[in-house]
Amino acid sequence: MSAFKYGVSLYSYTEDLGTVMSLEDAFDHVAGTGSTGIEILGETSIPTYPEPTTAWLDSWFALLDRYQLEPTNMAAWVDTRITIGRNMSVEEGAAQIAQDLRLAHRLGFKFLRPKFGVIDGELTPDPIWQPAVERNLDLAHRLDIVILPEIHSPTPIKHPVTDAYIAFIERTGTKNFGLMIDTGIFQDRPLNKWGGGETDEIRKKALSFLNGIKVPVEHLADVIQYVPFIQAKFHHIDENLHDHHIPWDRIVPMLKKLGYAGYLSSEYEGARDPWVSIEQVRRQHALIRKLEAEYDAAHGGNVHA
Amino acid sequence: MLERSHIQSTGFHNIGPVGARTGFEVRIRQPNYRSSRLSLIEGVDLVIDGVEYPAEQGRIRVGDREYSHAEMAEETVARLYVGTYFTVIVPKAGGLAPGVHHVASSIRFRHPYFPPEFQPVFVRDARHATIILP
Repeated sequence: MSAFKYGVSLYSYTEDLGTVMSLEDAFDHVAGTGSTGIEILGETSIPTYPEPTTAWLDSWFALLDRYQLEPTNMAAWVDTRITIGRNMSVEEGAAQIAQDLRLAHRLGFKFLRPKFGVIDGELTPDPIWQPAVERNLDLAHRLDIVILPEIHSPTPIKHPVTDAYIAFIERTGTKNFGLMIDTGIFQDRPLNKWGGGETDEIRKKALSFLNGIKVPVEHLADVIQYVPFIQAKFHHIDENLHDHHIPWDRIVPMLKKLGYAGYLSSEYEGARDPWVSIEQVRRQHALIRKLEAEYDAAHGGNVHA
Repeated sequence: MLERSHIQSTGFHNIGPVGARTGFEVRIRQPNYRSSRLSLIEGVDLVIDGVEYPAEQGRIRVGDREYSHAEMAEETVARLYVGTYFTVIVPKAGGLAPGVHHVASSIRFRHPYFPPEFQPVFVRDARHATIILP
């Protein structure tokens, strides 16, 4: 029976990193969950992004070795509306992706998540995404990296944005472009605290986003063949391992049924009080491991440690 | 490491010659979760004891480099990194009086991946901070 891989995105430790947590502290917390993978945000974790110093590179590889973690996904951005009055050209977008592919490869990553600027409230990416990515498919192939845009609330699975990504994969026949599912799309109860940069204006106007778009987990079956990596977004898990927003008791059995064997990379996005994220990530790992073990036991498979 | 608040205690001080101060500075932690090209920051507005100091009037210092409001808007390469701060430089004849002030900041962040209606978003902070020297 297929088994999940467990990882953590350093996005989980937002606000702590840079105030009360060092990169090495973060490695310790990730390794302490029993994870095998670490996900970073390139321009967050690398102090001199896009050009790491030799000293930083030495430290990066030493930390990977010491904590026995493999690099999973590197998050990057294509800031299409680069100034108030000007959008990135296709050439600029392609150069940004090429730069991040090379950097990700240098650091040992297998996936690159470029976050494109959008043109509307449904998060339709700027049209440069397609030619900018297409110009990089050969490079991605040479570097053995899969480029993954994320399917992120409020964009559901059944949506023209997702359809366009799939049409691109089918048209080009590429193995170096896929979909990253952000489990925030399954959120089915309202958020009372959003750790993604909440402001008064967002609280007033972004109701569908904060209330959850409630994508049925069954929709995963339509796209799972294109999904090699999942960001396990969550916001609050209480001391009884009850997640207040994300229905893991439905997500985990569906992913198991579909044979998903990629990473679940924790992405905590809740209250940003100091150090809360460390415990929240640990609870999520305990919860998902428990659900996976229960599924395996009920279906005659391996019980994971 | 930096204080958790965006506005930092250290770095809040008057500038210019003693007795003929020309303004004041406020040090602010880059509060976003990722580094930001300067062009993605549409300005930093301050309110000190109820008096507004709009971004357009001040300058920003990042490391050793100073930018006017217009220069920041076009700076697409230099970045504000996570775990670092920048300094808002505000012209004000005489500076601020020594003592405790109420300081509020609002950073206009443009996140291209946010829906257009949320460009920019206003990332706010407020606290008391102290000017030591007149």
